[in-house]
Amino acid sequence: MLEREDGRLAVRMQGFLAGTEDFRLGPLDVMIPRGTVTAVIGSNGSGKSTLMRALLGLEPSRGGVLQVLGSGVGPGGDESYKVRTGFVAESPHAYENSMTVREKAEFASLWYPNWDWERYRRLLALFDIRDGVKLSRLSKGHRRKAELVVAMAHDPELLILDEPTSGLDPVIWKVWLDEMQSFMDSGDKTVLIATHVTEEVKRLADYVLILHRGRCIGLYEKDRLFEEWRTVLAEPAGGRPDAGALRSREGCAKVEELENGLYRIEWSATAMPEQDAAMRACGFRPLDSRRLELEEILARITQEEISNTSKEEGSVEPA
Amino acid sequence: MQLPIKVDEQRPEPLYHQIESQLRGLILGGQLAEGTSLPSIRELAVSLKCSAITIRRVYQDLEAEGYIRTRQGSGTFVADVGNADRREHRLSRVAEEMERAVDAAWQLGCTEEEVEELFRKAVLRRASSRKGGENSDA
Repeated sequence: MLEREDGRLAVRMQGFLAGTEDFRLGPLDVMIPRGTVTAVIGSNGSGKSTLMRALLGLEPSRGGVLQVLGSGVGPGGDESYKVRTGFVAESPHAYENSMTVREKAEFASLWYPNWDWERYRRLLALFDIRDGVKLSRLSKGHRRKAELVVAMAHDPELLILDEPTSGLDPVIWKVWLDEMQSFMDSGDKTVLIATHVTEEVKRLADYVLILHRGRCIGLYEKDRLFEEWRTVLAEPAGGRPDAGALRSREGCAKVEELENGLYRIEWSATAMPEQDAAMRACGFRPLDSRRLELEEILARITQEEISNTSKEEGSVEPA
Repeated sequence: MQLPIKVDEQRPEPLYHQIESQLRGLILGGQLAEGTSLPSIRELAVSLKCSAITIRRVYQDLEAEGYIRTRQGSGTFVADVGNADRREHRLSRVAEEMERAVDAAWQLGCTEEEVEELFRKAVLRRASSRKGGENSDA
């Protein structure tokens, strides 16, 4: 049973710790199923890039379990998963500056048994790149596109993208989005994408992994995240509603009476049917609801995390 | 293929519920004929800005209800929906809309007689303007 479950996982982390003296990542306990897109979000310095690099064994492991595509990562691990993985790093490698796009591709083709020149040429044309040009001569956006082409030309099972679209113009961004969609269409590919672009999260992600200061706040199903954090406009269902009782319900962050006799109710991390049941039980009838933007959810979740952390820290202080 | 489905983020119903009821409506209403090929799960997820998990759930529900069927390798298609189901769906949709109008009338303090009178007039007025519309189209 466990083994079969593992076969369906693209990434499995249990108590996984990584990083250097300067920056610690973890402990992370995250299971990412195959066939899904996970957006890794968090403010600068939250550990997104460290996580992406750790998945490829590029960050020193400090303990715990990390498995990617069924292979253990780290000392004594089986590295074969890497040829089934595509990676676009946060910033381009300086040592590649003097290479042409073509030379980079030729180098990659030696490494990946599934390298497909036809696929490579199709992607080049799609992203409008000439491959005789040196990488250092390319603009930021063009270099990004070249890296995406090389990362995808071997049709990887797992694609790890660290802010892949920074520098892309809107037209090429849409081309990339369509390509990602058809990449995912087969149903068994997995994508992990670190991004600050909300639209990418909305369009592509199935799951959202939130990191904050090297810690994992949670792995959320995207649509549920947006449903669980929302502001509801409600009217009294007859008689005076019990705002105090509603405030004490779990997940109810705020109940505010407005001048026009309506109420604004803020919910966090509560399933939608429970929200509705609680509002009705306390004499409110929901009229309208507004989803929070991803940035607002992120700000509130991390705020909560910070206050919880300081509480925990406070409790272990000697009396 | 682009489906005429609109997700309203302000509506207080879960996304999957909105998508499922609209897709069921398109099939029952005959806008999507039997055999029509539906978008892949990922394609629909990207276009509606929701997760593939939600769309998979919608497709599974509608398949269980017999509205769509999935053929391995070739995609998802609209199934044969009986005429009786279609008629029932049409009538219940119309009944829903009418009830909404009746509710509005109650709220504005109309009597039953007034509502009935207004309904008869509305039918007559619409019927004549529809004929007029057809003539001017021709």
